[in-house]
Amino acid sequence: MGWLRRLLSRERLEADLDKELRFHFEFQVADKVRSGIPESEARRLTRIEFGGIEQIKEDCRERRGSMWLESLLQDVRYTLRRLGKAPGFTLTAVLTLALGIGATTAIFTLVQQVMLQSLPVSRPDQLWRIGDQPRCCNWDGYSQNGDGEPSDWSLFPWEAYKLFRANTTGFQDLAALQAGNLSLAVRRAGTSGPPDTANGQYVSGNFFQTLGVSAWRGRLLIDADDQEGAPPVAVMSFHAWQEKYGSDPSVVGSAYQINGRAFTIIGVAPAGFVGAKMVNWGMPDIWMPMTTEPMLFGTTARLKNTRVDWLDLIGRVRPETNPKALQAQLQSELHGWLAGHLADMSPQEKAVWQKQTLRVSPGGAGFSGLRRDYSEGLVLLMVTACCVLLVACANIANLLLARGLRNRQQTAVRVALGASRGRLVKNALLESIALSLIGGIAGMAVAWAAARLILYLAFRSASQTSWTPVQASPSTPVLLFALGVAMLTGVIFGIAPAWMTSHAEPLDALRGANREVGGGRHWAQKALVIAQAAVSLVLLSAAAMLGGSLHNLEHQKFGFDPDGRYLVSINSLLQGNHKQEQLVLLFREIQDRLSAIPGVRGVSSATYAPMTGTQWGHDIRVQGKPEPGPKDEVFADWTRITPGFFDTIGARMLAGRAINEDDNGNTRHVAVINDAFAKKFFGNQNPIGQHFGPAPVRNAGTYEIVGVVQNMHYVTWGFRDPARAMYYIPEAQTAHFDQPDLQSDELWSQNLYNIVIWAPGHPANILTQVKKALAEVDPNLVIYDVQPYSRVIQGTFDQQNMIANLTWLFGAVGLLLAAVGLYGVTSYGVEQRRSEIGVRMAVGADRGAVVAMVLREAFWQVAIGLGIGIPAAIGAGYLMASQLFGVAPWNPLLLAGTTVLLGSAALVAAVIPARKAASTDPMHALRSE
Amino acid sequence: MKKTDDRFDLPQGTLDLLIMRVVSLGPIHGYAIAQRIQQISRDALQVQQGSLYPALHRLEYKKLLSSRWKPSETGREAKFYELTSKGRTHLKAETENWTRLTDVVSLILEGTLEGI
Repeated sequence: MGWLRRLLSRERLEADLDKELRFHFEFQVADKVRSGIPESEARRLTRIEFGGIEQIKEDCRERRGSMWLESLLQDVRYTLRRLGKAPGFTLTAVLTLALGIGATTAIFTLVQQVMLQSLPVSRPDQLWRIGDQPRCCNWDGYSQNGDGEPSDWSLFPWEAYKLFRANTTGFQDLAALQAGNLSLAVRRAGTSGPPDTANGQYVSGNFFQTLGVSAWRGRLLIDADDQEGAPPVAVMSFHAWQEKYGSDPSVVGSAYQINGRAFTIIGVAPAGFVGAKMVNWGMPDIWMPMTTEPMLFGTTARLKNTRVDWLDLIGRVRPETNPKALQAQLQSELHGWLAGHLADMSPQEKAVWQKQTLRVSPGGAGFSGLRRDYSEGLVLLMVTACCVLLVACANIANLLLARGLRNRQQTAVRVALGASRGRLVKNALLESIALSLIGGIAGMAVAWAAARLILYLAFRSASQTSWTPVQASPSTPVLLFALGVAMLTGVIFGIAPAWMTSHAEPLDALRGANREVGGGRHWAQKALVIAQAAVSLVLLSAAAMLGGSLHNLEHQKFGFDPDGRYLVSINSLLQGNHKQEQLVLLFREIQDRLSAIPGVRGVSSATYAPMTGTQWGHDIRVQGKPEPGPKDEVFADWTRITPGFFDTIGARMLAGRAINEDDNGNTRHVAVINDAFAKKFFGNQNPIGQHFGPAPVRNAGTYEIVGVVQNMHYVTWGFRDPARAMYYIPEAQTAHFDQPDLQSDELWSQNLYNIVIWAPGHPANILTQVKKALAEVDPNLVIYDVQPYSRVIQGTFDQQNMIANLTWLFGAVGLLLAAVGLYGVTSYGVEQRRSEIGVRMAVGADRGAVVAMVLREAFWQVAIGLGIGIPAAIGAGYLMASQLFGVAPWNPLLLAGTTVLLGSAALVAAVIPARKAASTDPMHALRSE
Repeated sequence: MKKTDDRFDLPQGTLDLLIMRVVSLGPIHGYAIAQRIQQISRDALQVQQGSLYPALHRLEYKKLLSSRWKPSETGREAKFYELTSKGRTHLKAETENWTRLTDVVSLILEGTLEGI
């Protein structure tokens, strides 16, 4: 611990060093005096022989082991003192940095949680999932590819899960969880009033055990709970327990009615554990054993249906398991399972069953829909934020350079007095790092606020019925990231000034001239401004492209008219009060009651309405057409509607008639198809009067086509894809299918989830009146949401909106910083050239000429910046092409616009110093020389 | 600072060796070390303060030298350096090294090079 002792006794050491050298000096003088030289002359000679005493001392200190720490402490103190003496500079630098670091950290907060985080379970590295695609929520049939190609399996039926679990030795434990969401109505036994809505998820009994999670309260599910005939139990998530039940301990062990059936809540999952699925819809509030599914769904249950793939599988592998071998084993098990269902397969499925594949993938992060949905956007934002940070760095580097130039004389004196260059460079870097660390701390506050804002912008549409497992509060990795970024930026923007310091010439100080010498330093400043201009242009043009893309998305032709329309989301089945056959009457009544509200011109219901995020579909067969080949795509979406649907939503009929009151249980089964369906299956033929039905071919006669309606964009994705084929069938007709999965869909679809209301001219209190009317029809009806249709569409583009807004914000900050940078460099240049300008004016240059001269120089920098920025912006456009809708990466108009914007900002930034230069008084300028 | 023809630069590390040798003769302060080296070398070597003191401090840090303040011949307190036992061993080894090295170097430089 010698260095520590030396550090603590620093003052004594310093005094000793001084005393030792002074002794030497005096001895030498005395020797000279003895040899006959007069004392004053002896002193002078000795001083010359000695050279720089401070330099010797510094060398001695460096030889001592404590030097690094001792000088570091000294330098830190010195740095803080220097920063404190320049509050304006420090404040500007810290604020700029706080913005840059804050923006980057805010985005990283989300990147870390969405893209990097593992599940909060024990040993997430041992978890592997079967499948590698982020699929949702149900797939029908023995293939997971709509067009009959062999596919990569990611979802499985229960039977296959049981088979894998029993036979795969590589897994210590294999769990299954429902890939989709289960809408629940929960009510404590013995209470009345409307039930709570909740999201449920079916899991296998060993789900929690496989993940290695233990209960917060009570106990979690075990295999014994997941047996047919076992008493129905469920586990609540910590989030739901806290948010919906106020952490009430009596929840555990109590009886609840879940969708009308009695369940006991046996426990609460631990805090922080939100399940194995990360999505921004339907995070599970309640986990229930798989085997309770038939109890809730009766004839529509999927549990024993081998044609329905609805489970995600995740397992904990044994330590020595080789993933490749595991995958091979699972693949052969899948083939074995498929081979047992040949009789049940369609010809297309039979053609490819041996080629079906399956892959295992690391499961430590669970099944992240967020990762799939948000990665691209987040990466884009991360890049943008880094650009802003770079612009900020350039600004501070510029500030430091200007400061360094101003302090040049001081630096030169310090070099002359014996300060080592290494220590000067270290000092300069230390100053930058101190600045960036203070900026980083301020940046954390910015990051926290910004992350909250981003979460609000990105996920506000989800907040009504669900929540998103992403938090704004910083975690340890985020703090480390911010610290790392702060250090890194400190070094980045500190390098130029430090380099400059290391080249300070002591002679400059002796010369005493405060004149601009050597263009090199000035050049560094200009290069920074050029870089800033280029980066700002890229940011602005990216923002403009994303903004244009968002506008195009929101204002595209959806094929229906959202104006004056409202969307109601309900669930009539949850309480189990409505028998299937009563549903038609229920919706009849709802329609009548809502139509009576003043201002309402139309009401109609559907299994799902456009842009609600739902999509049902299957392969179809057209009567009289040959069986499609294995490669033919014969997929169509479908929904059930009540009469008047097309008028209510504002879609035009192209041929035939719409569905009306006469299409009921007593008449032939009809369907209205959309234009894309007509083109896809009938080409130029007249589709009216033709028959079709869901595959297999024996159902081909199920529906008679009575009309063609225009295409509506129904799904919330694929806006660049051609319109999807779709058909509409009446709520009041029920077909009968032999295939259990079709039959299940047929019944299930009669539970209409959406009501569309057409009430133009914003009638007062429409939302309250709708809710009131619905409660009057049935107080047990679960109402999730009533919102204007335009808001529904906006909600679809929340993510794009968030990205475009943030990019605009980043672009604006970048532009502002670049303008400040240009202003700084230009006014510094003007200050340096004051005497030159004075001379020019003295010999006849007028104010205009001086302004032009200053502006010319500023604009050269901006022009070079544009020269680099424009190609870069075009390149960035191509990189972002996948995020753009209806905006070409090469967009001259848009580029011209951003160039003008940047140019105007630069003009303002340069005119101020130019005018100041022009007001130089020649006499004054010359006299100060 | 000025160099005359009969003075020359010391090879790297040699100064340490010279200092240790001088110090090995008994406790001595910095100024006397410089004087002694100059004297012994018959003015061929003049050790600058800028090299001497950093070297002394380095040797002290490496625990080859120890130091003590005591009155000097003029009565003023001076910092006297002494060789530690570690320094003694080090000096012995380094001196042997040096002798071997100079023998080998002169063997080559002054030899007849018949072997080639």
